[in-house]
Amino acid sequence: MPPHVRLRPQQLCIRQKPQVQQCRYASLATATTPAPAIDLSIQISTPIQRFPPTQPPSYRQPQFRKSQLHRQYASLLRSTPLILIFQHNNLKSIEWMAIRRELAEALKKVDAAEGTEYADFIKMNIIQTGIFAAALKVVEFFQTARNPKKEAKPHPGDAAAVANTDPNASDYSHGLSKAAYDAANANKRLKHGLESLMAGPLMLLTMPAMSPAHLKAVLTILSPSKAFPAPKRRTNPTFHEPAVQNGLQKLLLLGARAEGRIFDLEGAQWIGGLEGGITGLRQQLVAILEGFGVNLTDTLEAASKSLYFAVEIRRSVLEEEEKPKDDKADESSSS
Amino acid sequence: MIPRFLSDVTIKFNPFSRKAKTARIFLSILPPNARQLMKISVTQLPSSSTEKPILDLKFKDGKDMKIDPETMKIKEVVEEVDRHSRMLARAEDLSSG
Repeated sequence: MPPHVRLRPQQLCIRQKPQVQQCRYASLATATTPAPAIDLSIQISTPIQRFPPTQPPSYRQPQFRKSQLHRQYASLLRSTPLILIFQHNNLKSIEWMAIRRELAEALKKVDAAEGTEYADFIKMNIIQTGIFAAALKVVEFFQTARNPKKEAKPHPGDAAAVANTDPNASDYSHGLSKAAYDAANANKRLKHGLESLMAGPLMLLTMPAMSPAHLKAVLTILSPSKAFPAPKRRTNPTFHEPAVQNGLQKLLLLGARAEGRIFDLEGAQWIGGLEGGITGLRQQLVAILEGFGVNLTDTLEAASKSLYFAVEIRRSVLEEEEKPKDDKADESSSS
Repeated sequence: MIPRFLSDVTIKFNPFSRKAKTARIFLSILPPNARQLMKISVTQLPSSSTEKPILDLKFKDGKDMKIDPETMKIKEVVEEVDRHSRMLARAEDLSSG
């Protein structure tokens, strides 16, 4: 007797299971795309992307804090036109707080006077010196423009497309890539000028724009000197609190990096001393050029003017010489 | 480092010279309240100057210690300072006890 199997009509109809499973967690989502059919893949020109375009594979391990700091410092260096470098010698948190407060107040006053809004973006960052030095090297010696991504479009099945999964591949051009690492460490003789400063505890003051007025305010607060005298006790009593004063004694302005160029203490003070900032410089330049133009037109005109005058004088002389002759001729004819 | 017996620190350096590192780091290992305990004078030279960095220390017993920051590493400087400071500490302990 055959086994008795109950027949269910539901089991007979073929049910199609949904092929695509929804991924609920972004962290579990993989960027791999399923391999296309062979006939399709021949038409596809771009290789399979193993990584999202916004997250290229990293040579330095991205899960470490130091890699992320490296990235942060590199972007800071690329985006900030003016950086002041300070050494901080064991400041207490109260002193940091007090100095930050004084600086913010002074910058707000400058903002009100200049009509800008930089005060919230001028910041004091305490940095990890070693990581900053590495990031500075990458920024100075590795230009992404020089290492453009390879334009060749290999067949997806090619070895090149497989190599795309290798995080050490040299065709990635971000700051944490192998190419950047190699470029920064290739030539030990290349100097960016700040090597000697990259030791000890450092603090950066970053400014979002080249503004000598703001720099002047920063220098009067953070490193008062003869050129940038500190605010008087009467005008700014909170500046003379012991927390601020003790903190400032321990801050040491070492140098500045302005638009890729390196300045020492005097250079930084020189930038801060520019009257009227960029607009002031432009006005001076316009005035010089205008004066030059006027001079030039004067010089060019001078030759023709003098010729004109010479001719005019000569003509008047000639006319005067002719007149008496005419008079004489008239007299002789009448007589 | 034992900063208790220092009375006077004079530092002069050009931050853009590689030889200034020891002097600068010595400044950073002084305690937060160092300015209240001793006299510290720091002079910065412009980046073009070729003057030698200076690190002069004076102890409370009057000993004058001139350290050459060009040749000495910070560890050696600390050792040197501590050697004398420990002697002073021992003398203090003996006299008080």
